[in-house]
Amino acid sequence: MRLTMMPGAVGAVTLATALALTGCSAGAGAAGGAGTQAAHSTGDTAATTSTLGGTITAGGSSAQANAQAAWTAAFQAQAHGVTINYDKSQGSGGGVVNWLNGSYDFAGTDAGLTPAQQKQSQSMCGAGGALNLPVYLSGVAVVYHLPGVTLRLTSATVAKIFTKKITRWNDPAIAADNPGQKLPDESITVVSRSDASGTTANFTNYLHQVQPKLWPYPASTTWPVKGTSGQQGGSGVVGTVLSGKGTIGYADHSSIGQAASAAIQVGSGSTFVGYSPRGATRAFDTAARPAPQTSGDLFTDIDYTKITSANAYPIPLLSYDVVCTRLASPAQAKLTAAYLSFVASDTGQKVAAKNAGSAPLPASIQRQIAHSLASVK
Amino acid sequence: MTTTPTMTAPHRVPRPGEGRPEPGRRRAGDTVFRWLTTGSAASIIAILAGVTVFLIVTALPALTADWRTAPALAGGTTGGVGSFWRYVAPLLWGTAWSSLLALILGTPVALGIALYVSHYAPRPLRRGLGYLIDLLAAVPSVVFGLWGIFVLRPAILPLQDWLNHNLSWIPLFAGPVSKTGSTMLAAAIILAVMIIPIISSIAREIFAQTPRLHEEAALALGATRWEMIRLAVLPQARRGIVSATLLGLGRALGETMAVALILSPSLLFSVKILTDTANPQTVAANLALNFPESTPLQRDALIATGLVLFIISFAVNALGRLVAGRAETGRRKRGAA
Amino acid sequence: MITAIAETPHQAPHRDVRPQAPARLTARTLPYAARPSIVAAATVLGAAAVFVGGASIAGGLALAAVAGTAGVVVASLVVEGRRRATDRMVHALMTAAFVLAVIPLVSLLATVVNKGWASLSWQFITQTGGTAFDPTTLKVLTTAGAWQAVVGTLIITGIAVALSVPIGVLTAIYLVEYANPRGWMARTTTFLVDVMTGIPSIVAGLFAFSLASLLVGPKAFSGFSASVALSVLMIPIVVRSTEEMLRIVPDDLREASLALGATKVVTTLRIVLPTAATGILTGVMLAVSRIVGETAPIFIAASFTDNFSADPFHGPMQTLPVMAYANYKFPGTDIAASYQSAWGAALLLVLLVVALNLAARLTARLVSGARRGRSSARRTPAEASMRDTHP
Repeated sequence: MRLTMMPGAVGAVTLATALALTGCSAGAGAAGGAGTQAAHSTGDTAATTSTLGGTITAGGSSAQANAQAAWTAAFQAQAHGVTINYDKSQGSGGGVVNWLNGSYDFAGTDAGLTPAQQKQSQSMCGAGGALNLPVYLSGVAVVYHLPGVTLRLTSATVAKIFTKKITRWNDPAIAADNPGQKLPDESITVVSRSDASGTTANFTNYLHQVQPKLWPYPASTTWPVKGTSGQQGGSGVVGTVLSGKGTIGYADHSSIGQAASAAIQVGSGSTFVGYSPRGATRAFDTAARPAPQTSGDLFTDIDYTKITSANAYPIPLLSYDVVCTRLASPAQAKLTAAYLSFVASDTGQKVAAKNAGSAPLPASIQRQIAHSLASVK
Repeated sequence: MTTTPTMTAPHRVPRPGEGRPEPGRRRAGDTVFRWLTTGSAASIIAILAGVTVFLIVTALPALTADWRTAPALAGGTTGGVGSFWRYVAPLLWGTAWSSLLALILGTPVALGIALYVSHYAPRPLRRGLGYLIDLLAAVPSVVFGLWGIFVLRPAILPLQDWLNHNLSWIPLFAGPVSKTGSTMLAAAIILAVMIIPIISSIAREIFAQTPRLHEEAALALGATRWEMIRLAVLPQARRGIVSATLLGLGRALGETMAVALILSPSLLFSVKILTDTANPQTVAANLALNFPESTPLQRDALIATGLVLFIISFAVNALGRLVAGRAETGRRKRGAA
Repeated sequence: MITAIAETPHQAPHRDVRPQAPARLTARTLPYAARPSIVAAATVLGAAAVFVGGASIAGGLALAAVAGTAGVVVASLVVEGRRRATDRMVHALMTAAFVLAVIPLVSLLATVVNKGWASLSWQFITQTGGTAFDPTTLKVLTTAGAWQAVVGTLIITGIAVALSVPIGVLTAIYLVEYANPRGWMARTTTFLVDVMTGIPSIVAGLFAFSLASLLVGPKAFSGFSASVALSVLMIPIVVRSTEEMLRIVPDDLREASLALGATKVVTTLRIVLPTAATGILTGVMLAVSRIVGETAPIFIAASFTDNFSADPFHGPMQTLPVMAYANYKFPGTDIAASYQSAWGAALLLVLLVVALNLAARLTARLVSGARRGRSSARRTPAEASMRDTHP
């Protein structure tokens, strides 16, 4: 990837300021004000960043792939000597497995580490274990192709459609959700992922929490219902939904392009909310329950049943970057922490929002990440 | 290519019956070359031994695990399956079924093409036509997959509807018909198109090697062109045809990406080819689709399915060799009679 | 060694083809204009089905083809008799097979060219794809470019070919020229080559990556390990196709060469190999075509990167098929632009393979041409065998 700095000096200043701000806020939010690797002192941040060199090898979640591409571009534009390879083909699971084997400096995962993986990581990361850093917030969109229809769906209807209990578009349940809409007398083709995926895990987790009776399947990376049309990748789902008629599927919002997505019922009320970055941030604010696995860890449970406020999107998707508290070499630790600090900074979150359509994480989380990264050596 | 050994004894008088140089009388170049070729064969044995050891070592934990209780196997595609064999059986069926369909669709066409190019096409066009078909072999499977998604899938929807409408009493064409086109028929067509050039380019080479004298003798005796082919071309090509078909089959069995892109898979047994809700998955596609998100033990299980595919493809090849061998000995007998 | 050719029964045509009733010296044949007129009538029928009967275009074409074939065959049956009718039917079937195979080929190439053409420019080929970051707007602009993928493909495939063609061809020579077909070594090798054709590509990738991890530690992603994976897939194809081509070289050639005092190695290198050269080359090109488009093993062994890398021994490398696949499966926010890149990479890949194919063929022709110039020897094994068997 060749990097073309646009107006060089301006960029340096903007980024430096951004990084410095992160450092300051981290100092303000956390006791001791250790700041981040990238912001030892406000003055020479630009110098620090631009003298960084080396290669970061990482991979995992494809949900955050577009954000990673944007972060990589922005970071490399600042730090010319740095090469960052993020392998999006591995998926969350593959990212963690490779990271646990020592192949990666950090892993991107939609699920975070399991307690067993956290324990396993200690052999590589030392007693401090690993950090789950929530860096990417988006939403799972329910995409459909029904020309002329703007769809609203209650969680119960979503569960019934995706379990194939509702098989026609003019079903009374769908009609009840969409008063005044003319629904065609057509069969519903449900499109799901044929490959195992973090998006599927998020979507099934949502359905299982919100509608445990209608959706008895536990959260799973593979699609549990038989009789759907399985397609590879989020793009396969979106493409098939768009090219078919009367189709419905689910995908990470950042990958749906021009496809129409349904407004989903919030809680059990009568409000329906379509995806928006603000809605996702709002949902995160109300539903996030910190569940740290180690000191400084930021693993977060999402309680979908708590998302009830009128402007929150009901199916947020949270993705983590996982990094050791102790890396093999101090230089690699410095480099990796500098990159992740940028990712979690206000600027980094804005870059992702601009280029990948994600929702910026709340400022409090940004501060906590900066604080946690200070312990990465 | 070294030519020095020729010069050593240009005028050596060959003795009668010296088809193969007897041991002890070989020249240095001969010995070196012999060892070189033997070494290559040995290296294949070493590579395969390496792959096999790797496969068995990684597959073993999954083969010995208790599939009912192991927590690492509880989720994903391996959840609730109960045993490895129940996991791998539908995958094997899917692999066999898709490959069989591809062979049924592809082999006759491939042989037809080979014969057309070698014996029927206007002579000046032959080289070009052959090259055109070879071009198909040069198309990578990702491109086949993309073409399948964007062109083939929509294109066969009417055909699928027609088949189902008129022939649904045959289990093969039973409904519900897919509205997306991600069917076994689409996968089989893709696989067939992928194996056609493999089979036909090898078959073409073999057909072209028929001694022209035999062909001309047959024609001179008043045989029609087809009779000439049946009598002079096909018999000597039988072994090669089987071999070419097996190479094509090898590709169909192991094809990953095109199938993974186009087929809507499930873990089940089914012969329906027009639906996207009940297609048996293939081993290779399942491996590629589920490997990334799998737990380590599930990965081992996936590799174990690869090991089984290994064994199956060997069995198929062994069968093919047997058939080819039979054809040969049968012909030898007829020839002697 | 006894090959198929040497033992093809010469009597067979006598036995089976002998005319049943040679009453006349010339058989009755269909008039010259008969076939075109029947075909034309069938075409009209098909067109009528489409325009009047409301059939689909594919249905009309199918009807025209079937009716035309049936018409010609029946006419031939009536006028010329069963044998000529069969011949005509087979001819029609062969032509149909060819047309049938050409349809997807043309459609495929048209699709790839049509969709890929727009992104294919000299810049796209020679420029490293990448991004530009505008710090004031925070926008990341993507520049499409495939140079890193072209370089990666050439290096990874090149190493794979360099590893597997010598091993493959030499093994085939061993099997055909040296080994005792009933000996354990030949049997084991044949057995294993058969097994190898069934290795799923992803397993080859895993094997290569594990091997590399054993050697260089966990950060083992490299183009070279991808080449090793591709070699594992390529070797069996090279061995089997070469083996077939060597077996078909008439034994008379070998015997003649040996009888003239040439050693085994000279016979093999200067007589057998050149005779089978075009066939072997076809096999090698098939094998290259098969592996050049692999994605799964490259993802596993060489990981994924957008960065340029020409060092096959360290770090991830990009290739064209991976680029096409990744741009399809993981498109950027501008999905159309990603698909555009995917098709561009696909077209480039096809062009690359075609160019390699052409180059190989040209080389083969030049080589065989040079040989022809040197000796008044044989052009093809068929002619060669004619010459040698029946002087």
